[in-house]
Parts: sequence; C-alpha cells; structure tokens
Amino acid sequence: MPLNIVVCLKQIPNPDLQFQIAPDGKDIKRDALNYKLNGADEYALEEGVRLKEKSGGRVVALTAGPKRTEQMLREALAKGADEVIRIAFDEAAAYDVGKVSRLLAAAIRTMPHDLVLTGVQSDDLVNSATGGLVAGLLGLPHASVVTRVEVKGNGLEVACELEGGLQRLYSIALPAVLTIQFGANTPRYAPLPAIMKAARQPIRELSPAALGFASWEAVPLPYTFAVRGLSPPAAKGHAEMITGSVDEQAKKLAQFLRDKGFGRR
Amino acid sequence: MAEYTPDGYGQAARAVVESANPRLILVAHTSQGYDLAPALAGAMDLPLVTNCLALRFEGERLVATRRLLNEKVQVEVEIASSRPIVATVRPGSVKPAGPAAGGTVTVMPVRIDPSKARTRFLSIERPQVQDIDIAGADIVVSAGRGIQKKENLPLIEEFAKALGGVVGASRPLTDMDWLPKTRQVGQSGKTVRPKLYVACGISGAMQHVAGMKDASLIIAINTDPSAPIFEVAHVGIVADVLKLLPATLKELKS
Repeated sequence: MPLNIVVCLKQIPNPDLQFQIAPDGKDIKRDALNYKLNGADEYALEEGVRLKEKSGGRVVALTAGPKRTEQMLREALAKGADEVIRIAFDEAAAYDVGKVSRLLAAAIRTMPHDLVLTGVQSDDLVNSATGGLVAGLLGLPHASVVTRVEVKGNGLEVACELEGGLQRLYSIALPAVLTIQFGANTPRYAPLPAIMKAARQPIRELSPAALGFASWEAVPLPYTFAVRGLSPPAAKGHAEMITGSVDEQAKKLAQFLRDKGFGRR
Repeated sequence: MAEYTPDGYGQAARAVVESANPRLILVAHTSQGYDLAPALAGAMDLPLVTNCLALRFEGERLVATRRLLNEKVQVEVEIASSRPIVATVRPGSVKPAGPAAGGTVTVMPVRIDPSKARTRFLSIERPQVQDIDIAGADIVVSAGRGIQKKENLPLIEEFAKALGGVVGASRPLTDMDWLPKTRQVGQSGKTVRPKLYVACGISGAMQHVAGMKDASLIIAINTDPSAPIFEVAHVGIVADVLKLLPATLKELKS
C-alpha cells in the first residue's frame, strides 16, 4: 500500500551549547548559534523513508521556519525525502507551539497525507506538543512516543513507549499522526552523491496566502500568547564542587569516597 | 476504557470539557499526558502550554514557567483566552499538598462511540532481557555521552567495580546499543535510589534526573560547568571523566 508520508521537521540550536539571553530578554542571542536538525525528528524522517522503501509512496519533509532551515531541508532530501517544503514563517524564536502547529496543519491540509510523522519533542522548547496538536487540528487519530511502526492491512500497528520501559501496542487507522521516539531506528548517513544532488533540488516555499492567511500575524488563534521573559534558571540547589587540577580532583574524590565508606582499601 | 487509547480517552475528555467548560485543564506531562493534552487542545481549538514547572493566574492571564534548551534557560510565557486552557505540568515540579477536607467528586457520564474509535489497544509489552537489575543496586555508576565512545565503557565498568557497584547509562547510550536497555536510568528506563550514584559525563536532562534524583549521595562529573546535573548532585566535579576516572582509580588502589 503506497503511503503519502509527511514528516514535520524542526531546526534547533544545538542544545549542548552555552546560551546567552538577548538584551530585550525575550529570546536567546541568536547571532552566533550553530543549528541542527532536531534529534527526535531525525528518527521520524528515517522512519518515514523506511516505510516508503517498504510500502512504496512518497516522503515530503515539511518545516516552518526562516531561510536558514533550507540547509536542514537539503539534508532531508539527501537522506531520502522526495520533496521538501518550507512554510516561510520567519519568526526566529517561534515560542508558541500552538501557532506553529496551526501553520503545519494548514500546510498538510493542502497535500495528500496518509501518515504524518514528527519527533516526540524538540530539544529547544521541549513541548512534546506539535504532533498531538496537528492530529487534533486535522481530526486524525494519533499515537505518541512511537518506537515501532508496521503496516498491517489498511492501517498500522505501533508500539508506544511508557515510563519504566513498558510498551503499549495499538492498531491505528490511516490517515494518522505519529510522534517518533529517540532510538526508534538507526538514522542513515546521507551518501555524498545524494548530498550533491540535494544541493540542486528546489525547495517549495509556502507564503501566508498559500495557506489562506492574510499574513503570519493574521493566523486566527483562540488565545493571545506572549513571552514575558527569559532568565537563567533559578538553581534548585547546587553541588559542592571539587576543584583543582585533575590529579588534585582525583585525590580529593578518592578521599571523599573512602570517608563515606565506598571503595576498596 | 480499561486500557488507555488516545481516541477513547480523547472522546471522553472532550465530552467532559464541553459540558464543564473549565477555566484550566491540568494534565501530567507524562508519556500518556502529553499524548492526550495536545490532541485535546487541537481537536477543541483550545490554547495549550506544556511541560510547565509552575503556573499562576494574574487576572485573566495564565503565566507558565518552563525550561528550555537542556534546562539552561528558563522562560515565562503568558496566555490569555476566553476558552479553557490546557496545561501539562512536569512530574516532580510541585510538592503534593496534604489531603484537604470538603472536596466533592462530580461523576459525569459520557457516551463513547466505539465505532468511532480509530485506535485500538492490543497489548502491553514488557522488556524480556535477562540482565542485572540496576534498581536493586546500592551503588550505580552511570555513563553518558561524555564518555565519547563505546571503547571507553570498560573504564566505567572498572570504576563501578572498584566501588562495588553496577553500570547504568543515560538514554543516548542505550539508544546507540552501547549498553542494553535494562541499564537505562530515567523516565523511560529504571528509577534508581542507590546509596551512591555517580553520573559520568551526563548532562542531566529532566528525563534522566527523574530516574536518579532520590539517590542518597549523587556525585556528578561533567566538563560543562553549566550542566543541569550539578543542580541535583551533592558533589560536583568539572572534569573530563576520561581523565578523572583513571586518576581516581589509581588513588583508590594506592
């Protein structure tokens, strides 16, 4: 059964970096950030490409973001997406997941979709909300934290991860939305010829008008949303630090462990 | 309704919200909670804020405190709406209050149409791997991405052995199959409460911390002084584990 698969991707600042807060306090400083494809979305893309390779069909990678996201979309092409689409929503921070999800849902409505995939969370805003919101907005069934997907008859069988290492298995009718968990598969590396080819492929852009909005500011929302401000996290507590050179630290740590009754003498 | 399904519970939640029209709908930010809440908000066109550490109303506005970017940045956002607001709250972020007298439970019968259920529960699968149970160990030495490559695992094993403990891991390592899933400490893995927990090259994402924060003594080793693991650790060392552990082993043996 050939599947029209849409994979929603997000480009995020590498969360391993240090961050500074912008002077107006409403965002992080973005001038020298290193961006990457969100971790869980990598697994969603791979799952989509694998399903296509098995069942036939097409994979469209979709994002809402500024021009810089083109680099991520080309990576998606090189890793097996057939088409990439950028919703030209240029807000760099995009803190309101409700708004972004409404843009994604509006775009998905304009294209054939048997299956919509995205990562279980983004590592920058950690909302774990996009997949569920999109499913609700489109009126589609969904499952979250998916670690396994199998096509069975006209639908899917999926395994969803619960706390404590348990999995809950469902059957789910298509069309459907799934959020894919880290580690669901082993994402492939893009082969060099595919990277070269992806550099020349077109990237479709969707303007507000293409989605039926007068402007990005005019997207109808049932609420108002505002960022009040960013701050360094108020530390809950802090460890007592062992300082010095590595050798000094090792000496102090070994002494500390012995004093507490750990470690063989 | 014996078993959760996104569709069945979703139908029930929608029926209750429609008839009760609450100001705020609170859901735990667990794998089941963030399955249910966003879809409910989407289906009913409601405002949503998730993974909140704290919530308060200021007049009409709901103000939510959240953490971003590996816990390194805190943000306050506000939502105002005439519609019910859906919010998910991170487990452990609020101390449960004691029981209060005088509450009543309102039971609302709702009609679920099974013919409209598009997700069907099949079964629960339990991990079947034969392995040591890290949840029962007194001393757990856990490795994270800071150990850089699989070839460095023997160093962690040697350190664990020197302390008489077992080796655990953060999620990225079990995802890469460096260690079996049974060794994963955290929300989607095991919850451990050992006498000693040593976090080696683990940044301390909330999913990991949820599984080890109740250890009696936590020692964290990480190169990044701003790593959130130092917030939950009792003793912290800013160092490369690959250098610190061999030096400490030497000290322990001398």
